Amino acid sequence: MIQFINVKKTYPGNVHALKGVSFTIEPGDFVAIIGLSGAGKSTLLRSINQMHTITEGQLLVNGLDVTQLRGKDLRHFRRNIGMVFQSFNLVKRTTVIKNVLAARVADMPLWKSLLGLYTKDDKIKALEALDQVGILEKAYVRADQLSGGQQQRVALARCLAQNPQIILADEPVASLDPLTSQTVMEDFVRINQSLGITVIANMHHVDIATKYAKRIIGIKAGEIVFDGPSSSLTHDDLTKVYGRELSKDEIKGDA
Amino acid sequence: MAWFKEWLNPSLLVLSNGKIVQPKRSPSVIIVPTLIFLVLASAVITEVDLWVLLKRGYQFFVIIGRMIPPDWAYTSTVLKPLIATIMISIIGTLLGAFLSLPLAFLSAENIIKNKWILNINRGFFSIFRTLPVLVYALIFRFVFGPGAFAGTLAIALFTWTIMTKMMYELIETVDMGPFEAIESSGATRLRAFWTAVIPQILGQYISMILYNFEMNVRSAAILGYVGAGGIGMLMNEKLALREYDRLGLILLFLLLTVYAIESTSRLIRERLN
Amino acid sequence: MSEKILLKYKQAPKTWILNWAIVLSLIFVVYLSLPYIEYNGIFEQGSKIALNIVKGIFKPNLALLVDFSSKDAVPYLMLETVAIAFLGTLFGAILAIPLAFLASRNIVSKPVTHSTTFLIAMIRTLPAFVYGLMFIRVTGPGPFTGVLTLGVSSIGMIAKLYVEFIEDLDKGIIEALDASGCNTIQKIRYGVIPQLMGNFVSTTLYRFEINVKNATILGLIGAGGIGGPIMFALGGYRWNDLGALLIGLVVIVLLIEAMSVRLRKKLATGQ
Repeated sequence: MIQFINVKKTYPGNVHALKGVSFTIEPGDFVAIIGLSGAGKSTLLRSINQMHTITEGQLLVNGLDVTQLRGKDLRHFRRNIGMVFQSFNLVKRTTVIKNVLAARVADMPLWKSLLGLYTKDDKIKALEALDQVGILEKAYVRADQLSGGQQQRVALARCLAQNPQIILADEPVASLDPLTSQTVMEDFVRINQSLGITVIANMHHVDIATKYAKRIIGIKAGEIVFDGPSSSLTHDDLTKVYGRELSKDEIKGDA
Repeated sequence: MAWFKEWLNPSLLVLSNGKIVQPKRSPSVIIVPTLIFLVLASAVITEVDLWVLLKRGYQFFVIIGRMIPPDWAYTSTVLKPLIATIMISIIGTLLGAFLSLPLAFLSAENIIKNKWILNINRGFFSIFRTLPVLVYALIFRFVFGPGAFAGTLAIALFTWTIMTKMMYELIETVDMGPFEAIESSGATRLRAFWTAVIPQILGQYISMILYNFEMNVRSAAILGYVGAGGIGMLMNEKLALREYDRLGLILLFLLLTVYAIESTSRLIRERLN
Repeated sequence: MSEKILLKYKQAPKTWILNWAIVLSLIFVVYLSLPYIEYNGIFEQGSKIALNIVKGIFKPNLALLVDFSSKDAVPYLMLETVAIAFLGTLFGAILAIPLAFLASRNIVSKPVTHSTTFLIAMIRTLPAFVYGLMFIRVTGPGPFTGVLTLGVSSIGMIAKLYVEFIEDLDKGIIEALDASGCNTIQKIRYGVIPQLMGNFVSTTLYRFEINVKNATILGLIGAGGIGGPIMFALGGYRWNDLGALLIGLVVIVLLIEAMSVRLRKKLATGQ
């Protein structure tokens, strides 16, 4: 369970990225966060695993105050959270399976991680993760030989290899074409439903957000202006989030 | 002389529609005299004596002439120092390259956020980078006595300073995305670096090692001159004794060695890319 | 775990074999080299010397360091070293031009380029040092020899870089000039030279930096510059003098580097 209690984030120079946001996410939720670029989506998402720190307020994950976590405890905490990025963030020159195995690095003794000595168990788990996203056959192919959609699925597999409770996705399909975006989003849904992993995703495209996520949080200028089931999102609500009327193709996110 | 005046002080141009344009003075107005001055000043300082050159210049070609044909019988004597030279380069380069990685890590802007550490590291290396390898060889020879050990250390130190700079510049161009990803999965910065950054730079790293190795083989040959092991000592001896044919042989071997290394190195580097 | 996963696991490419082979052969080579590098232990004098050198650097002979009037003091020596490098590089850069054109595949025929490239490679392979030793026999010790040595030894590297630029020439510009009716000389003056000028100067500057260091090395064999005094100070155990000289050396090289970097950036980006 993730609880935001009046969380504020101010950057030096008096830039208010988050102006007191509060909400709770239950385990097993699938939440999409929408809003303009710069509205605070990224800051919000990254504060959950403390990749960004907050300046005020309380952030509790499963009762743990994450702002107090340092060093070993912080890293231990992050083990439970997987993160998927817009630009996939794979090591392009290495093989797919090596990328997925990188998820195990945090758990291994130092010398083993330096030499890349993964156990058979590790490798099997990595292959299973790849199978879960449907690209087992590409296991030994170099990462940069894959298409965008396939790379994102490798990134997803990398998260799964961590056995996370939560997956944070920062604009996971923004770099993909509409057809591939659908496949990837379906993977997220499947993982959320069959493995019970909480999924929180920042999204650009409103229609994809409403189609796949169960709940939508709309952010504008650091404040939450909508929080409810995706089915209840109205046209007016969108205007509130984006500050103006959205045209048809902006909603569809085609360009 | 009109063009000279025009060059010095370009006059106003009046267009047919009445607009007036002031062309800028060409930078060559400053550059050319400066260049002439520098050349003349340097010539004086370096005691350029063209007369001597004309009179004795042919000697250079005489020496070359006597180097061919080389004294083939001398081969057996040349081999051992030659191999020593190569070995000194190998170990020196590897040592220097190996040590440069952690230091490069500590000097890269995208890894170390503390400005103090960053600049102290870089400054430190800048200073050490200025000294040519021979100066190190001299100093080490005095400290450790003549022989290959001093030479190897000198090459190691020299390579270390060069490679650290090349490496940290390389590390700074790396895509930090995967690094962020691994860090977010709970790994320490060190492990994230190793798993995400190193694979991206490995190819270039090896390339650089080979490049430095090539350079160092040439330097190692010189080290012998200051008594730090290798073939340089022999070369100077032969020159002093005017045994040019033997010198020719030494040079020939040196040439062949460097050529072999360069070709191999180029092959390997191409394969890596 | 399922059948297909196990199957995939077994399909893993055996890259580890290659990696181990490389590591083992490296270790083997190093092992072979070790006997050549006898460690005689530090001369009892050795550590004392090292200490003295460090002391000498921190307490340099200030008189030597700032005496602008004497020819044997650091400032003049720095000037001399730079002058040797400057003239030598210029000399080499000019000589390299015709050689480079003769080695470019888009200018002359293949057999000519092959032989010229070979010649350039040969010139380049010999360390500057060796040229120095040879030139001393010709023009005697002194800075002029340094100039000649640097000149000849620079030809190799400069020519090689020039060739890369020449072969990269944008034919389009020359075509355009042709179309507007220019003759060959005009085409060279307005089409070829502007493209090459910037790069040539950049290359020359780069080589100049390197040559400042080379000039020092040449000094060690008596070809002028700050190298000779360094060797004498070391041999004569004059640590404070050595400190002053080393500081002078570091300062020149850093200055030249900084200036060269700025100039080259200006050439490349126009600021």
